[in-house]
Amino acid sequence: MRIRQPRKQQGSVLFDAPGPRARWLNRVLGVVTAIVVLGVVGLFVWQLDRKGQWAWALWEPFTEAKVWQSFILPGLKNTLSAAVVAAALALGFGVIFGFGRLSERRWIRMPCGAAVEFFRAIPVLIMIFFAQAGPPVIADAFNRSIEPISAFEAVVIGLTLYNGSVFVEIFRAGIRAIPAGQAEAGYAIGLRKSAVMLRILLPQAVTTMMPVIVSQVVVLLKDSALGYVIAYEDLLNAGFVQIKSNFNNLIPAAIVITGIYVAINLTVSYLAGWLERRSRRSRKSAAVPLPADASALLATPFSKGPSI
Amino acid sequence: MDWNNFYDKLLNFGPFLEHSNEIWSGFLATIRLSAMAAVLALVLGTLLAAMRVSPVSVMRATATMYVNTLRNTPLTLILLFCGLGLRDTLGFMAQAAPTVSGYWLAVAGLSAYTAAFVCETLRSGINTVPIGQAEAARSVGLPFSQSLRLVILPQAFRAVIAPLGSVLIAMIKNTSVALVAGYFEATATMKQLFDDVGATVPLFFGFAIGYMILTLPTGLLFGWLAKRMAVTR
Amino acid sequence: MMDSAPAVKAVAANGNDAPLVELKNVNKYFGSVHVLKDIDLVVRRGEVVVVIGPSGGGKSTLCRTINRLESIDEGTILIDGQPLPIEGKALARLRSEVGMVFQSFNLFAHKTILQNVTLGPTKVLKLSKAQAKEEAMRLLERVGIAHQAEKYPAQLSGGQQQRVAIARALAMHPKVMLFDEPTSALDPEMIKEVLDVMTDLAREGMTMVVVTHEMGFARNAANRIVFIADGQIVEENTPEEFFTNAQSERAKDFLSKILVH
Repeated sequence: MRIRQPRKQQGSVLFDAPGPRARWLNRVLGVVTAIVVLGVVGLFVWQLDRKGQWAWALWEPFTEAKVWQSFILPGLKNTLSAAVVAAALALGFGVIFGFGRLSERRWIRMPCGAAVEFFRAIPVLIMIFFAQAGPPVIADAFNRSIEPISAFEAVVIGLTLYNGSVFVEIFRAGIRAIPAGQAEAGYAIGLRKSAVMLRILLPQAVTTMMPVIVSQVVVLLKDSALGYVIAYEDLLNAGFVQIKSNFNNLIPAAIVITGIYVAINLTVSYLAGWLERRSRRSRKSAAVPLPADASALLATPFSKGPSI
Repeated sequence: MDWNNFYDKLLNFGPFLEHSNEIWSGFLATIRLSAMAAVLALVLGTLLAAMRVSPVSVMRATATMYVNTLRNTPLTLILLFCGLGLRDTLGFMAQAAPTVSGYWLAVAGLSAYTAAFVCETLRSGINTVPIGQAEAARSVGLPFSQSLRLVILPQAFRAVIAPLGSVLIAMIKNTSVALVAGYFEATATMKQLFDDVGATVPLFFGFAIGYMILTLPTGLLFGWLAKRMAVTR
Repeated sequence: MMDSAPAVKAVAANGNDAPLVELKNVNKYFGSVHVLKDIDLVVRRGEVVVVIGPSGGGKSTLCRTINRLESIDEGTILIDGQPLPIEGKALARLRSEVGMVFQSFNLFAHKTILQNVTLGPTKVLKLSKAQAKEEAMRLLERVGIAHQAEKYPAQLSGGQQQRVAIARALAMHPKVMLFDEPTSALDPEMIKEVLDVMTDLAREGMTMVVVTHEMGFARNAANRIVFIADGQIVEENTPEEFFTNAQSERAKDFLSKILVH
């Protein structure tokens, strides 16, 4: 039993252990907060009622299997398939450009770095727009013509370029988080640079990177909703366009769709947290796992935060 | 090979310059949205962070629920809800001119979303301050408000600059989604020019550079500030 | 359990043996763990009480309850005859009269050495900047750090930081000083410089409660040794008696383990 550990239970960095007066004050503040929150929620509910949004006819569609089968589940499937494909491609992009950025050859390192910084500095949406409209124009410049780019492809390209660039930075940070002694020990037993990277650094880095990679998937999943803008028939589209135009029930549809997104993302976030805890416990890496929240790790001058 | 066509599609910045007025006002709209949303997100985010670290469980629960919901909802959905839900269905700002309501609905959605990230950033900034600092402040006899003001917040603030810069940059890029709330800014301008004069490479790069002019200096500034004010432990 | 032996050295010199710190029947729990069990302890004015015992036995917790960095679940604590305030301004005022030195120094990382020492005097005691600075420089001189006054804590060695921490506590003119394992985080070659400052303080008649593993210091500077194990005061005695003729099995066992090495 160490004395120092249980100390966390008591007092935070901000507050002393409360006395009776502090406890009384906290209770009063609690009641006031509850009243304010209930007031705001109540106002919203009342406003919905005034606009007739609680009518059963608007909610009833969500109890019908048909609505789920023909709108929500196909939308969800499209959202997930765009996210899964983009995540896989982004990982590949991240590994390739990550190695590129860590290369000792300037002519490899520089362009990789420039590409990564470029994709992270601009909005995903303009990449998606250009991914859809640009390739036919470029083909035309060479007197060729190509099939139009589908909405699915445009979304996947945009998500891949942005998230792939984030993965490059995660990948670099993961390799760097491994103590120098590990690489030195590798060189000391006569391994070459590539062997040190593949056999020593990478296996350890994967453990430390897993949590932050998984939580970046949440960002990617959310960004897949940008597909709505180019009429990709994703979950957002299913709720806000298809269901709404059939039943004229935007508010109920929005609430249900939000619930689905939040549930999926919370599950993935929980997975990231679980991985972080697990790799913190495991002794398979000399490095401390990167925090699951990527924003801290990427907050360097030239880094554009990926957290949002 | 049609070299004129090749030049027009891949290298000709002419259309970009011809439409520089529209493009300029597009980016101006982006900046107006960014500035207002940044201020409101900072205010709301600070309030939420204060609630999340408070000893009052109702406050903590409220802020946690807000953050978990907003952080895990696509921004596109939120902004769309502001336009189609708040305005078109529930009648908020329905009387205002579309440009005005578009602006304020975009501000509302973007700052509500960004506030969740500001909150988490501030909270983790407070968590970087070792508890020993607070204990030392208390032991010297500083009351709550002074330990907070003189010891804890100054240190937390310094730790928060760089990540807050990241949030701000992400928010600037996120203004591009505001077009779904009916706000016409740089990305909407680009989309329109793509439709009107074609999605040429120079047009795309022109807009990309425009965004980089907004984001890169912001990143440099925050990185410089963070380095200057870093607390060595 | 032994009765507390009357303290001899400094107390006699001061001629005042009124209790300054009094713990009566103090109990504390961390969840289901009973970390302090029926603690009764009196520290008289000018007395140096050294608390020793095995790790995890409750020494630090005991020390930290005296300025309420840890709250207690049962019992009373009196400082200078007054019950320890529970919260608010009164507690802050009391803490300003009780100096605390931590294991990990806890100097304010964003303030210079000088600012570390003057913060309390200017903000709590409301001294003028000039007055506070003059006094701080005197104290820094005394602990041998005056020439580093404009540096930041991270630029100093552990031993230097800990001496600054002592100066910071002294700047408040405390009635009693609490030392929570002040040398445990130090490199061996820096322990002496800190202990020397503490020994000087003890000689000057400062009332001190010191949690430490430094047996040499305990022998030389203490008026009384309090041996704590498993959250209980197992034995209280003069240093001579304790180190040569410990009464309890627990203390004998502890001493056999540490003095051999």
